[in-house]
Amino acid sequence: MSIELLSLLFFGALFIFLLLGLPLSFVLGGVSMIFLYFTWGPESFYMVAAQTWGAMNKFTLVAIPLFIFMAMILERSGVAKDLYEMMYLWFGPVAGGLAIGTVVICAIFSAMCGISGAAVVSMGTIALPSMLQRRYDKELALGCINSGGGWGILIPPSVIMILYALISGESVGALFAGGVFPGLMLLVLVSCYIGVRCYFQPHLGPALPKEERGNWPRKLAAMKAVILPVIIVLMVLGSIIGGITTPTEAAATGVLGAIVSAVVYRQFSWNLMKEAALRTLRLTGMIMWILFGAYCFSAAYNGMGAHQLIENMMQHIPGGAWGSIIFIQIIIFLLAMVLDPAGIMMICVPVFLPIVKAHGFDPLWFGILFVINMEIGYMTPPFGFNLFYLKGIVPPGITMGDIYRSVIPYTIVESSGLALVMIFPQIAVWLPQKLF
Amino acid sequence: MPFLKWFIETIDAINDWVGGFLSYFLFAFFVLLFIEVILRYFFNSPTVWANELAQMLFGTYAILGGGYILLTGGHVNVDILYSRYSVKTRAAIDIFTSLLFFLFCGMLLIYGGSLAWESLARFEHSQSAWNPPLYPAKLMIPLAAALLILQGITKLIRDILILLGREDSDRPEPEKGESL
Repeated sequence: MSIELLSLLFFGALFIFLLLGLPLSFVLGGVSMIFLYFTWGPESFYMVAAQTWGAMNKFTLVAIPLFIFMAMILERSGVAKDLYEMMYLWFGPVAGGLAIGTVVICAIFSAMCGISGAAVVSMGTIALPSMLQRRYDKELALGCINSGGGWGILIPPSVIMILYALISGESVGALFAGGVFPGLMLLVLVSCYIGVRCYFQPHLGPALPKEERGNWPRKLAAMKAVILPVIIVLMVLGSIIGGITTPTEAAATGVLGAIVSAVVYRQFSWNLMKEAALRTLRLTGMIMWILFGAYCFSAAYNGMGAHQLIENMMQHIPGGAWGSIIFIQIIIFLLAMVLDPAGIMMICVPVFLPIVKAHGFDPLWFGILFVINMEIGYMTPPFGFNLFYLKGIVPPGITMGDIYRSVIPYTIVESSGLALVMIFPQIAVWLPQKLF
Repeated sequence: MPFLKWFIETIDAINDWVGGFLSYFLFAFFVLLFIEVILRYFFNSPTVWANELAQMLFGTYAILGGGYILLTGGHVNVDILYSRYSVKTRAAIDIFTSLLFFLFCGMLLIYGGSLAWESLARFEHSQSAWNPPLYPAKLMIPLAAALLILQGITKLIRDILILLGREDSDRPEPEKGESL
């Protein structure tokens, strides 16, 4: 059988079984088993078992449940409520200020958590009702939570970056450092969008009336809300970037920080711990089983020689090296419409990274582009996870249609951010080069 | 039918218990890694075992959780078309796609089993400074595959019963899984 036909059958079978609703991990594992049998024979199954064992023994991966658990605790800890109180006093008097404050809190949350759900859920329950009550436009309010909530995977720490590091062989610390400036840039871009829009259309985000504004003593007192988050961020990121601990150990100190904040805010309970631990197991196990399936997938993919085929095909894309990069970003964006980010990462990196490297691009820079793209994927229909999280907590008057429409301007802003990082790679790679 | 009912309930209960048990491992990772940081940074006396033990426990945690996650519907899938079908159509599709599921898990059981068996036969140790035995952790691969297959069988039985109209399809839909 020719390699073209074989590859076509392989990707076709993956696609069909995915659409039939079989979980991703079993589709990857099962389809790959069939093709491995016909290319390398049953001996290759032994190698698959050995790779599964290899995946169980990656010390870096131990960071994943810890970062997830940390986010689950922080989501319920009441940190967000105090932060919002502070932003309300400081930003409220400006038109659109509450929305800008909300995205700032999202960025702070992202610097504490490695996943995106926590910020969306916290801000959706605290900031959204408050903004709606003060006659903010509902699309402006929904959209800012959607877009800010996705930064969890871009601003370090980030579970997705740990997976990228594992597959690509880049260092976790360097990737984390690479996410800092692109994350800040997106924060600035989105805040500017909100600020400018509300300056010209004040009815979208009316400034707080005089009598609702806080005075200076209140404003200063509210500043204490940032103390705990700053300590947590310094503990986790500081110890990784300062080279004191491995990312995995830093995650453990982060868990301590999260538990301490739950205690300080009087939200700590054993039930909270137990429930968070179960949710963490479900999420971690889900990712790990995709990884086990993905090892079969890469074995089959490379075994058939499909990588050669894809590399040859990519040479026909117009625009040379940049054409390929843009083409890859489009593919990832389309996949993000139907698939989970962890899954996309594990399928796409083995396929696309060799091409990116062959063109002489920096794999670290590509990783950051990948993550920004995933993050846009979180907020775009139909499969964006943030949309579903948000739908679960919004007040009854808001429909899925409102949520879908709300992301349009923010998607445009964030896509321009992606383009900026493509055109000026220094935004991503300057800090890691400086530090590592 | 009483046997089938008993079988389904037993397997569900086993995987549910395994999930609950595994979820506590998280606190072990936390404590182990935290101790390591404290000992190394403040007392300048790192252990040889803390990180390796956390890593081994993590392997067990990740792989044994498979059955529990299947039970709770946590394995992520593409439901863009799937969610629009009727309960019966879904059951029929699931019966068909379970072939692929059993193929993957079956191979993991057989070849993971032989991997573990070889390790057990020569009492393999990790050769690190701490040098713990590796076979208990390797045995988790076939065990996890077995738990997953058993859970898959209960799902298959349920799907067949739904298709035959023998079971009311009033089982609550598993909630949509979470993502990163």
